[in-house]
Amino acid sequence: MTVTETRPTATGGSQPPNPAQRLSALPAKIAKSPLLARVLFPVFLFAVWELSLIAVEEIWPFAVDVLPTPSEVGGFMWDEFITDTLARKNLYETFFISLRRLMSGFAIAMVLGTALGLAMGLSRATNAFCHDWTMAILAMPALAWALFNSIIFGFDDRGPILTVILAGIPFVIVNVREGVRNTPRELFDMARSFQVPQSKVIRHVLVPSLMPFMFAAARYCFSIGWKGLVIAEVFGGQDGAGWTIKFWYDAHRAHGVVGYAAFFVIFAILFERLVFEPISRRAFRWRPQLQTEVVEEAFGEHHEHYGEEETARR
Amino acid sequence: MTTTDTTTVETPSAPRVTEEELARRARRSELTSRWFWRILSYIAVLAIWEFALLDIFSFLRGSPLDPKLLPGPSQVVSTFFEIWGEGTMPAAFQATLTRIAVGFGLSFLIGAMIGILMQSKWFEGFFKDAVLISLSAPGLIWVLITAIIFGNRPLGPTIAIILTTFALVTVNVSEGIKALPKDLLDMAKSYRVSVFKRNRQIVIPHLAPYLFTGLRFGFSIAWKVTVLTEVFSSSEGIGFEMRISAVLFDMSEFLTWILAFFFFALFLEKVVLEAIERRYFRWRQAVTAT
Repeated sequence: MTVTETRPTATGGSQPPNPAQRLSALPAKIAKSPLLARVLFPVFLFAVWELSLIAVEEIWPFAVDVLPTPSEVGGFMWDEFITDTLARKNLYETFFISLRRLMSGFAIAMVLGTALGLAMGLSRATNAFCHDWTMAILAMPALAWALFNSIIFGFDDRGPILTVILAGIPFVIVNVREGVRNTPRELFDMARSFQVPQSKVIRHVLVPSLMPFMFAAARYCFSIGWKGLVIAEVFGGQDGAGWTIKFWYDAHRAHGVVGYAAFFVIFAILFERLVFEPISRRAFRWRPQLQTEVVEEAFGEHHEHYGEEETARR
Repeated sequence: MTTTDTTTVETPSAPRVTEEELARRARRSELTSRWFWRILSYIAVLAIWEFALLDIFSFLRGSPLDPKLLPGPSQVVSTFFEIWGEGTMPAAFQATLTRIAVGFGLSFLIGAMIGILMQSKWFEGFFKDAVLISLSAPGLIWVLITAIIFGNRPLGPTIAIILTTFALVTVNVSEGIKALPKDLLDMAKSYRVSVFKRNRQIVIPHLAPYLFTGLRFGFSIAWKVTVLTEVFSSSEGIGFEMRISAVLFDMSEFLTWILAFFFFALFLEKVVLEAIERRYFRWRQAVTAT
């Protein structure tokens, strides 16, 4: 009993545990919380949107028809959501088509990139042979691949898929190469001196140490591939997310463009939250909690190292 | 014996090879092998492009490809000189570079300011989603939105460039601020070093590498987005020329435009910015070593 009685004074310091006073301190506490700021951001965004609409109406009354209002965009998004659309394919079909292309390109890029990255990490000659070209492909804008592939392949799946591969593969190569270079040599030496079989060494030493790098590679490859894919679909597609946003653009429906852009953002964030975060939690669950932070830090460092030594991403 | 040993180290004509010499030789042989493979790769890629790429793409396509659609490097180089002779190239470069300078300059300032504001938890919460969206959304959506709202006005591309690149600068600046050497600052404070001196001699030198990383990252994205905006909402610049030649199916012109600007941007990114960085950070042993 004495313990529970002394506790509030111990934690609260000089403040008496007065519920009324705590309640009066609550608004200040809420106003200072970062969560409120996070909620305030969209509110601020809508306010700026509405105010700029009013301002434009004052200055150029004729231009206001072109500008999308929040309610128009919201209505458009709801119609798309319940599959009531003017475009040829509804929202789900469209994103499914794009996702299928993205996944095929992503899979090919991961396989080819891992093979090349392993070769470049293990052999100096291969590294010297491929390094400059990897960097050249890395620095090439996806737009160039998209236009080029659309001219070569016309309107079918291969152009966008090849764009995804070309946009994503340099990230896989660079990450896997770094991973190979960072494998713990002493663990290999120890395995050799204790005569651990090769298959076990690969399973228990090589793969776990490559894992963070593979994961970073997959994440980059996916997000860059998605950015490349939508550009490729704009120029060389008959369907898919990129084609559909271009459809609304060509129809001069600004609310359609803004609404579809919002779907793009939602898609990317959902994928990050629903796919990559659970996978990373699962893949790294063998590591103690403290070390997962180290991995994150290593990603950051690696990322920076990119900027320092190699060309930048995307 | 020991004295004779030291003299052999000093005279290069001695028959015994020192360890340093061995190391230098190994380094030299590694360097020659690296350059051998490097040059071989250039020859191989250009040869494949010139002679075999058409067949490879015909195979991928499943039907023979018109040779006009895939010109080799020799064709591209001759087209480059043709276009250079017409004199349209410097103007297009100038248009694009001006757009990059204005857009990315503003983006850098805004990004750095947001990064500084994000020191406070409240502003971090406020701008968190903006940074997340800017990093994860394809640049295409900003390009299309600004194109449909602003049309051909120069404001559109500028806003698109800002929205795609500010977050990279923000992330780098806020990382840099988080890693500020607190103990050094505390010491400076307790020795009553003035605010200006503290900023000039501790904060700015510490933040500079982060700003540079942000600058280079940002630039590499900025020029790509700029070209993309020109494809949709402009009547001059590299992107516009690319669009025109792609619509006309003139692939050698298309490749010439994009490759010319690609090499130029790569030159700025890898040579100019890196040279500035090396000059600026000469005093930092760690950075130059890695």
